[in-house]
Amino acid sequence: MTILTDTPRPTSTLPPRARHKRVWDKRLYWVATHAAGLALGVIFVLPLVFVFLTAVMKSDQAMSSSLWPTEWHFENFVNVFKQAPLLEYFTNSIIYSTLATAGALLSAIPAAYALSKIRWRGQTLFFMLTVAAMMLPPQVTIVPLYDLWVRLGLTGTMAPLIIPYFFFDAFSVFLLRQFFLTIPKDYIEAAKIDGCTEFQAMTRVMIPMAKPGIAATAMFCFLFTWNDYFGPLLYTGENQDSWPLSLAIASFRGMHHVEWNLTMAATALIMAPVIVLFVFAQKSFVKGITFTGVKG
Amino acid sequence: MTTTLDTKAASPSSVPKRARTRAQARTRRNVLLFMAPAFLGFLIFFGYPLIATVYYSFTRYDLINPPQWIGFDNYVRMFSTEPLVGTAAYNTLWLVIVLTVCRVAFALGVASVISRLKSGVGLVRTLCYLPALAPPAAATLAFVFLFNPEFGPVNRFLDLVGIDGGLWFNDPGMSKPALTLLVMWGSGELMIIILAALLDVPPELHEAASLDGAGPVRRFWHITLPSISPVLLFGIVNSIIFALQFFTQAVVAGSAAAGSADVAGNTKYIGAPQNSTLTYPVWLYVQGFRYFNMGYAAAMAVLLFIVSFGFTAILVRQMRRGAHQEEGA
Amino acid sequence: MRVTTPVRRSRRRRRGSMVLCIAAASLLTACSGAAAPAGGSGGAPGAAPGKDDKLTLTVYSKFTSREYDIVTKALGNLKAKYPNIEIKHEGNQDDDKLTQSIRGGNPPDVAISFFTDNLGAWCSNGSFQDLQPYLDRDKIDVNQIPEAVRDYTTYQGKRCAMPMLADVYGFYYNTDQFTAAGIAGPPKTMTELFEDTKKLTQFNPDGSIKVAGFMPSMPFYANKAEIWAPSFGATWLGPDGKSNLANSPEWKEMFEFQKKLIDFYGHDNIEKFKSGLGDEYSADHGFQRGKIAMMYDGEYRTAFIKDQTPDIKFGTAPPPVSDSKPDRYGGGFTTGTIIAIPKGAKNPGASWELIKQMSLDTETLVQMANGLKNVPSTIASLTDPKLEVDPQFKTFLDMYSSGKLLPNPSTPIGDAHLKAVNDFAESWQAGSVPNLEEGLKKVDAQINDELAQKQAGG
Repeated sequence: MTILTDTPRPTSTLPPRARHKRVWDKRLYWVATHAAGLALGVIFVLPLVFVFLTAVMKSDQAMSSSLWPTEWHFENFVNVFKQAPLLEYFTNSIIYSTLATAGALLSAIPAAYALSKIRWRGQTLFFMLTVAAMMLPPQVTIVPLYDLWVRLGLTGTMAPLIIPYFFFDAFSVFLLRQFFLTIPKDYIEAAKIDGCTEFQAMTRVMIPMAKPGIAATAMFCFLFTWNDYFGPLLYTGENQDSWPLSLAIASFRGMHHVEWNLTMAATALIMAPVIVLFVFAQKSFVKGITFTGVKG
Repeated sequence: MTTTLDTKAASPSSVPKRARTRAQARTRRNVLLFMAPAFLGFLIFFGYPLIATVYYSFTRYDLINPPQWIGFDNYVRMFSTEPLVGTAAYNTLWLVIVLTVCRVAFALGVASVISRLKSGVGLVRTLCYLPALAPPAAATLAFVFLFNPEFGPVNRFLDLVGIDGGLWFNDPGMSKPALTLLVMWGSGELMIIILAALLDVPPELHEAASLDGAGPVRRFWHITLPSISPVLLFGIVNSIIFALQFFTQAVVAGSAAAGSADVAGNTKYIGAPQNSTLTYPVWLYVQGFRYFNMGYAAAMAVLLFIVSFGFTAILVRQMRRGAHQEEGA
Repeated sequence: MRVTTPVRRSRRRRRGSMVLCIAAASLLTACSGAAAPAGGSGGAPGAAPGKDDKLTLTVYSKFTSREYDIVTKALGNLKAKYPNIEIKHEGNQDDDKLTQSIRGGNPPDVAISFFTDNLGAWCSNGSFQDLQPYLDRDKIDVNQIPEAVRDYTTYQGKRCAMPMLADVYGFYYNTDQFTAAGIAGPPKTMTELFEDTKKLTQFNPDGSIKVAGFMPSMPFYANKAEIWAPSFGATWLGPDGKSNLANSPEWKEMFEFQKKLIDFYGHDNIEKFKSGLGDEYSADHGFQRGKIAMMYDGEYRTAFIKDQTPDIKFGTAPPPVSDSKPDRYGGGFTTGTIIAIPKGAKNPGASWELIKQMSLDTETLVQMANGLKNVPSTIASLTDPKLEVDPQFKTFLDMYSSGKLLPNPSTPIGDAHLKAVNDFAESWQAGSVPNLEEGLKKVDAQINDELAQKQAGG
């Protein structure tokens, strides 16, 4: 009778033949799972590798079916800046993402604090509304919102994208609230007994203790706004000067002499900052993601 | 010197009434202050637009001239004469079902494999999450390029092993499956959540079950699945909502595959090939922001809201049970 | 002190916030009116600026790279008359972006569009200003512009744009490949086109296409339903102003012919081939790389070839016509660049001065025509000695004066009808439409539905 490898009976107590088989089973299992893991890793990363390889090809080679560059044209990464005002788009992206993230933190931290550390009537209701807002498809509200921004004269700029973050970003409020819940109330109580007001408790106790959570939330906000396509399409589409990178990349082929290799180079350049950010801040990212897991 | 007391901490009888009401007033003021941006934001960017959308759905409005009340005409048109809204709804429905199943199943599968790894966990996890970081427009362009029937690496590779690759994004029957592959490739976020949940399953449960003779499949079904079911539910609802608002990838793929010289939502090539990538949100956008039938777009938005709210309510109800449990603790 | 139970209080609060929401919503929507700021929308023409007035005019157009430079230079000619006017030319703005900017209240001072497709919509909803008062005030004779071109800049008699260079779509063929295949001259009828296609196509050993004699796939490059239509004499609207494709023998003939060509290659084969062709305006254009032997295209292609791939030997001719309509030969599809004053332009008088120069000044027109290789739109500029005419370009000028040109009809639905027909062409060529007439009926229904939306007031 074969015993599965993850049963508790220690290998050392088995008869020699069974022990031998157990060891081999364990090894096979190890090989199988790690081979699968490796294969998966390769599959996931392969397209990115191809993007990079194409980015350094010569333009006619990019359109042929050869898989490996015959010549290496690293200057493509520089050439993309000449083809389009990439630096301008990059600046727009930075402005959008940093301001939005700052706004989200400014508005969401107090809100999350109130939702998690203060008891008040309607708290659960508003939290549920937050979750509902988080899940709302943006297309539901665009008609009146666009109309509103037109009347304020702000279409064609990034203002309609950035301003809402200074009021209410549902996802950030949700995430921060989950994080704050993991910090025991005792610290807050202690601070209040020492004479802190609610606001001071938040700034002097909560925020320092929740730094990882705040960092994770900031990163998510940054990532989302960095990759946002629909919002900029709607509000800045008409004014090329205000385009962030995420929108510009889709239009990259619109300028006459751009080839696939340059398009891929631009794609690689756009992905680079967030990939770098992730590699350095992995732990926070992963922690943040698991908190959206919604166990309750 | 008055000490600020949390209203719950002090029992009613030990604190004089005036101090209690003052404390309550202070709490209320704090809450209002802390929540002010959120309340305002919710009102302005969610409450008002939702109600206004319903209003606009009963009008004809093109942004240049004032809205005209036309009653239920938009809805009548939506359900009878307008020829493409049915296709759009079908496409989105297809995506809701297929994307959800594939995304969750794939994320679960990948997470299961990673959960069994003893070494290299960090590396594999990173590699699997990287694609999720890519801007969707860029990722779509990359995929369209990779799956190009004539010179893309995928077909080239398939040729080598003797399989006829097909037209991928240029074939109306294959464009949605190709988009599904794209989404699965980017499902790193869901994968990590499920991974965390998998790792949380107490190993003793597994051991006990296998001692009782349960095979791996039965163990998965009866132990793992129930333990991670809240996360799976979240993943399912999240995927459904994601499919309901599927816009960027559909638009970019359609335009790029059609060989259009300008992407960024040029009306002529939306939904290529043959409207197979015309999703509901995309058609809503075209009707509202290209043809400027804003009243009609609002009607479409109302329908979208009703459907998505249905799914959200399920999730919210499940979370509510959890939230109450937390508050009681 | 009143004691309110928790339940009652929360219900009251919930009701209270609902009321607040509704109140705010009704207030805001009640104030909704024309969202875009008014600002000079017809009636009295705006006064021309003073000679030394200092202002900036923003111009939106779709031109990029080489063409952009040429047009910018032409725009600069205004400085001769008004030395202190700065002109800011933004390229790569397509029709969708133009529409968005006008609706959003941020219009440019002058709008240039490559296509006439959206003119009807822009005219009918007031996005473009009526130019008649300006023409009347400055006593301009529009008869210096040929009729077809005059037609595509008006909608229901209202003139809201001026033509700025015209496009004529003719036929291009690779003369080297023709010689190699032993074909004497370009095809004049559809039968000849089909025969020539067969002779010029080269297949790879595995059956895939190496060189396509003629690319019938729609819509692709300039191969679009609306560009084929004049060759068959197919028109869009019936006498009642409604879409009339299903009852038109011309449309049926056109689609049957197109299917014949597709079936010759095999649909999947041609789609695969198509996906490997380069961008329309890049040096990798299929025709410019010798991968396509014959094609429809506009007169501007001669400039691109000269600039990007001068080694390709090609000839031009009027496009072939249906065997049953030989007298249509010599004409073709026309559209053109149009220039207009958007609603909300801050200085319409100055905008008009720029438009006058760009659409009526012979010197400017000839300068642009030589650079862009488009057809200059006034009769004076057509016959101007400074116009550079090489044999390939001459074909288009002859077509322009032939009197057999056909434009798109101006409709208030923009290009929705074009999308509908080209969508249909896609399904049709893939074999997904079993009955041609039934399929065309559905197209009619779609177009009429959009028309109905617009006609009732909007």
